[in-house]
Amino acid sequence: MKINKIILSFISAVAILLSTSVVSFAKVVGDKIVLGAAISLTGKYSSNGVHTQNGYNMAVDRINSMGGVKVGGKTYKFEIIYYDDESNPKRAAQLAERLISQDKVEFMLGPYSSGLTKAIAPVTEKYGVPMVEANGASRSLFTKGYKYLFAVLAPANLYLDVAIRTAVELNGGKGVRIAQAFEQDAFSQDVRLGILDAAKETGSEIIIDDKLPKELNDMAATLVKVKQMKPDVLVVSGHTKGALTAIRQIAEMKVDVPMLAMTHCDAAKLSKQHGKNSQYALCASQWHKTLTYKDNFFKDGMTYAADFQKEFGYDPPYQSAESSAALLVFKDAFERANSFDQKKVRDALAATNMQTFYGNIKFAPGGQNVDKPMVLFQVMCDGAGKCENKVVAPLKWASAKLIHPIPKWSDR
Amino acid sequence: MNKNLILYAAILIFGITAPFIFPAFKVQLSILCVLIVLALTWNIQGGEMGYNTFGNILFYGLGMYLCASVQVGMFFPLAEWTESGGEKTFVHTPAQFFQGMAVGLVVAAIIPTIVAGLIGYAILGLRGHYFAICTLGLGVAAGEISGGIEIIGAGQGFTTPPFPNVGGLEARGEFFYLLSFGALVLTFIAVRAIYSTRFKLILNAIRDNEDKAEAMGIQTMKYKIIGWMISAFFCGLAGGIMGGLVGYIDSTDVAFDGREMGVFMVLMAILGGKGTLWGPIIGATVFHIFKEGFWTFFLGWQYVALGVLIVVIVIYFPEGIMGWLREKYPERFGEVIDEADRKAQVELK
Repeated sequence: MKINKIILSFISAVAILLSTSVVSFAKVVGDKIVLGAAISLTGKYSSNGVHTQNGYNMAVDRINSMGGVKVGGKTYKFEIIYYDDESNPKRAAQLAERLISQDKVEFMLGPYSSGLTKAIAPVTEKYGVPMVEANGASRSLFTKGYKYLFAVLAPANLYLDVAIRTAVELNGGKGVRIAQAFEQDAFSQDVRLGILDAAKETGSEIIIDDKLPKELNDMAATLVKVKQMKPDVLVVSGHTKGALTAIRQIAEMKVDVPMLAMTHCDAAKLSKQHGKNSQYALCASQWHKTLTYKDNFFKDGMTYAADFQKEFGYDPPYQSAESSAALLVFKDAFERANSFDQKKVRDALAATNMQTFYGNIKFAPGGQNVDKPMVLFQVMCDGAGKCENKVVAPLKWASAKLIHPIPKWSDR
Repeated sequence: MNKNLILYAAILIFGITAPFIFPAFKVQLSILCVLIVLALTWNIQGGEMGYNTFGNILFYGLGMYLCASVQVGMFFPLAEWTESGGEKTFVHTPAQFFQGMAVGLVVAAIIPTIVAGLIGYAILGLRGHYFAICTLGLGVAAGEISGGIEIIGAGQGFTTPPFPNVGGLEARGEFFYLLSFGALVLTFIAVRAIYSTRFKLILNAIRDNEDKAEAMGIQTMKYKIIGWMISAFFCGLAGGIMGGLVGYIDSTDVAFDGREMGVFMVLMAILGGKGTLWGPIIGATVFHIFKEGFWTFFLGWQYVALGVLIVVIVIYFPEGIMGWLREKYPERFGEVIDEADRKAQVELK
């Protein structure tokens, strides 16, 4: 039975491989603070994953070039170890384990999307690794009593709440008829729950309630229904692909609806990709460059946008801005904790109360940011076909007046 | 026989001590065990029976949801659990966690077995490409359907119960490793036992010529269904373990992950050599190591590297690693080649 020898030698080869490949980074190597992050570089969230990564990198470069992080009288620089989670929760959980137990990372940055954050949070929680995340907005993340999870963004159920309330207000306080279509994922389903709540409170009626598949590239079935039932508001959420698909098909099918509310318009670069077709779309956003928040690193939104444009060649979507803010939060917490002890840093994070160019940041006990409202912008185009996102709600920051109802396609 | 015992003892010792010798690799090793189980069971259909199924992912996903649902549902209202995303108000005591897991795993193994019997009865009459396409549809359909069932979290996903606070930081990893290694040993013993019976010969007969097998009086349908049920049993078990290990079940990305797991199990069996006992095991191990390596060293290009690997397998190792070894060193596989006889045969032609 010589085959046994082959198998035995194979097994010993595996054992040797395993024992030699333990590479360990310490969390603080020399003058570096090493953060770990699993990011969606491939798969369905890859475009937003890249926005997230760009946001992180931008902040790392900025903080490092402006003196780094001062802890215990010594200056440290940030460094991030990235892995590609392929937009897959299973992979993300595995990578979190790997970052913590193999790469010995002691502080983590969040991945992109609620689903992936849901998969990673139990791991970081188990090891007591503080994680500041900027892209997991699902409400259920903040109801589990996680102690090491901090999100710089407002929870998902608030995303389009404002849109429904605005529609009701414009309807003279009477309830509106809502058509909605949401992708089958943690984030979009949470946005849906928010709409359900808002509809209940305002006495609105939901006449179409569709689910969209994850590999989203067609929603014609929903739009046919919308054409026939003529709702007052059409709500669509399905990350970048959802926004792109909705605009493409609404224009193709010439669907007339008085209000179109969406998420992820800026991440999808709607105004650039679809130009005039995307006009009048209302979009929920965590951040917009015209907001007047300030900090010492990026100055304000406009400066951030200009710097980002110079570095990466496109206008920063809010996904990048919030990711950059996550680093500012970490820096602030390290300096206040004046230590690299995970518990101390965690406590410092919990006590965060600061303003960044992205907005005010203050964490509730559940970990969500309670000090920053959502904004709503509308895609507006000038005669030459140049389109821009303008904030229309809340009124405090509005730079343009909401155009309502959306003109019919026949009049455009 | 003695040498065999030594081999198995060595593997067993290595398997049990591995998480303690290489503590940082516990999760990867657990996943490897699950991958091997999937490859081993796929081989029963794809390798021995000649039925290329993409549907085994159905049993894996089913097992995952069932195990988690039972584990939660035994002690708490399931609907409230999934709606709140597993709020801290529902905390399993250690006893509840392990009891739930044990019962959950039994259910996760048995229900898919029954489902396999029912579905098998309906579709195992299909052959060749038709069967492959049909099973491909099964996995996709299951993903979409489960994504619409509210009680198991629908599109929100299902957070499995967190591991209770016993035995320190490493306990969770060690528990799930030993569980998945246990499942692997169980599967191996079962598959090995099956391969030494007439049952395997019948499966091979079906693969080589189903009509002839039928003409010889073999009730092929019966054996095909039993074969599939055996696979489903272990796939469900593997799924249940994986659900607890990942901690978060998503309908199409984790449970009915036909695009990854569903394809990987086929790939691993083919890489190692289908129709052999050790092929899927070696294939899964090599595949897993390559994959982890690609992810570390070719970040962003891992799928390209994986694609190249697949091309290389198909071109240079169409019979898999075991097939290649067998061709190269037939005597090591106990095949005696009578040189004179071989020459005589060649000359005859």
